[in-house]
Amino acid sequence: MPSPEAQCQRCHSRLEAEDLRCPVCALPTPRPPRAVDRERARVIRCSNCGSAVAYSVEAQAPKCAFCASEMRTETQEDPIDQADRFVPFEVGTDQAHEALRIFLGKGGFFRPKDLASRAALDSLRPMWWPGWKFDAQVEATWTADTDAGSHRSDWAPHSGATHLVLNDILVSASRGLTQAETQKLSPSYNLAKAKPKPEGPPNAQVELFDVTRSGARRQILAAVELTARGHIARSELPGRRHRNLHAAVTLSGLETAHYALPAYVLAYRYGKKLYRVVVHGQDPSCVLGEKPLSWAKVAVTVLVALALLVIVFLVIQAS
Amino acid sequence: MNLSCQSCGAQLVVADTLRTTTCPYCAAPSVVERPPTPDRPPPTFALGFVQTPQKARELARENLLRRSFWAPRSIRNASVEELRGIYVPAWLYSALAESEFSASIGENYTETETYTTTENGKTVTKTRQVTRTEWCPLQGRHTEYVPDVLVTASSGLPNEELEHLEPFDLRALRRYDDALVAGWISEDPSLPQEQCLQQARAEVTGLLRKRLSAFMPGDSHRSLEYSTRFHQESLVVCLLPVWVLALRHDPKAPPLHFLVNGQTGKVYGRVPTSWVKVALAVLLVLLVLGGLYLLLSHGKVR
Repeated sequence: MPSPEAQCQRCHSRLEAEDLRCPVCALPTPRPPRAVDRERARVIRCSNCGSAVAYSVEAQAPKCAFCASEMRTETQEDPIDQADRFVPFEVGTDQAHEALRIFLGKGGFFRPKDLASRAALDSLRPMWWPGWKFDAQVEATWTADTDAGSHRSDWAPHSGATHLVLNDILVSASRGLTQAETQKLSPSYNLAKAKPKPEGPPNAQVELFDVTRSGARRQILAAVELTARGHIARSELPGRRHRNLHAAVTLSGLETAHYALPAYVLAYRYGKKLYRVVVHGQDPSCVLGEKPLSWAKVAVTVLVALALLVIVFLVIQAS
Repeated sequence: MNLSCQSCGAQLVVADTLRTTTCPYCAAPSVVERPPTPDRPPPTFALGFVQTPQKARELARENLLRRSFWAPRSIRNASVEELRGIYVPAWLYSALAESEFSASIGENYTETETYTTTENGKTVTKTRQVTRTEWCPLQGRHTEYVPDVLVTASSGLPNEELEHLEPFDLRALRRYDDALVAGWISEDPSLPQEQCLQQARAEVTGLLRKRLSAFMPGDSHRSLEYSTRFHQESLVVCLLPVWVLALRHDPKAPPLHFLVNGQTGKVYGRVPTSWVKVALAVLLVLLVLGGLYLLLSHGKVR
């Protein structure tokens, strides 16, 4: 069994104490060998009553036929991981409220004029949403079609290899917040300030990691692949357009940490409808959410645009 | 090999390839420990049996009956004569595979083509869009981990049969413990490690052809060639649960050999073909064809 701080010998990724194989490259984790110097037949005894133990299909474990006690064997554990680092709230409840007021005041042309004054706060919920942070090194080999070097066809094939160092990449495990919301919130967190205990408003809730360890690893590997593909598409490919990007990634040195990240989820009422807004827990200027549209303004704009088009058409016809 | 039973002291006779035995006098299940050799290291992992013997019987019979259309009639009365749960040793291989490839990539483009045709007795010139393919050479590298390759380590279970029983769910892998195989038949590896390593590499090379085909850009590709180097290989023994069945259907014929994946319940076995049934079917088809031909030719004459 690897120690809690163990590393994979092949890809240098961090291993958990219960891992039988490396989750990234599948190398079996070492176990101290038991010395056997001569041949002998051993009867496995029940630790409870001392009678012989045999594997039972029904119990799917070694089971004593006399006292029915089962023996535990080491298998791949798949617990639900919990956050062990809490990024503290640096925005108070009042500041979050103020941030909402500013957000509503910034309106935009199509928003109702009285939005800031008539919107009524319905609920304000401080919460920590769960997320993984990972560091990894990626060797990626890729192929793609781009317009660079193309002849008769619009496309020409290219291939390449690249080395990426990914640091502090956040992957959301939240079910309460959408992917789009967590993506916009993520860049503004200062993970260096994380503490082992939650610090923030007393009524703040901690959203649990609702994912098993194996599920988490799948999501993290998918995120690594997505990040690598994004990097290749942005800065590795020649030409301006591309298609059929295939990337094969091999990770090394994958380290993950479980974070709880602060945010306020607010709901305000305008007219009869409820709208949701998320305020960042560390940066009050980072606010995302929905605002109602003023349909009257939209209708007037469309009518004006149509009228202009008709006039232009008539002028062209007349000339 | 003679060993003494830990429970009653009786002499146990254990075959060289077996890892377990049951004392014929006191019925105590024993696990044999041997000093490891390169070709016979101690198992690292094992998968436990999940399918009960009753279920294995049902699955095998059901599978046989479903595929019995071309088989002799006696198959319908087949009964399980013998059923054994065996932990079969297999090598679990993983590696970092680095391939250099070259291929010809096809990129499609459309061209307008003029052609002449006859319409209402006149020759006219028309145009049409045709798709053509431009072939471009591409060289590159493809690197990835190959995690879960299983090849047999037992001379009793050919690799081809193991492939029919795969996949095994390796998420349920357990670290090998003598208690896992106690009371069951368990084999030690009987094939040389070097031979199995070559087999594993060959299996990965075959697998990589599919991976590389999917890796190629363009609309199509041809003459894909690649050479693969394997780095940081690992090869450990994993015991796999397999139910071995002998099904007797005809007292004169040898029993049918069936295998059931002890974890997932996947069945593999060959069903004999009844040549009488096949001959009858061929005759029937010929008769129907002949009848149709006669009918049609008769119709034409009239």
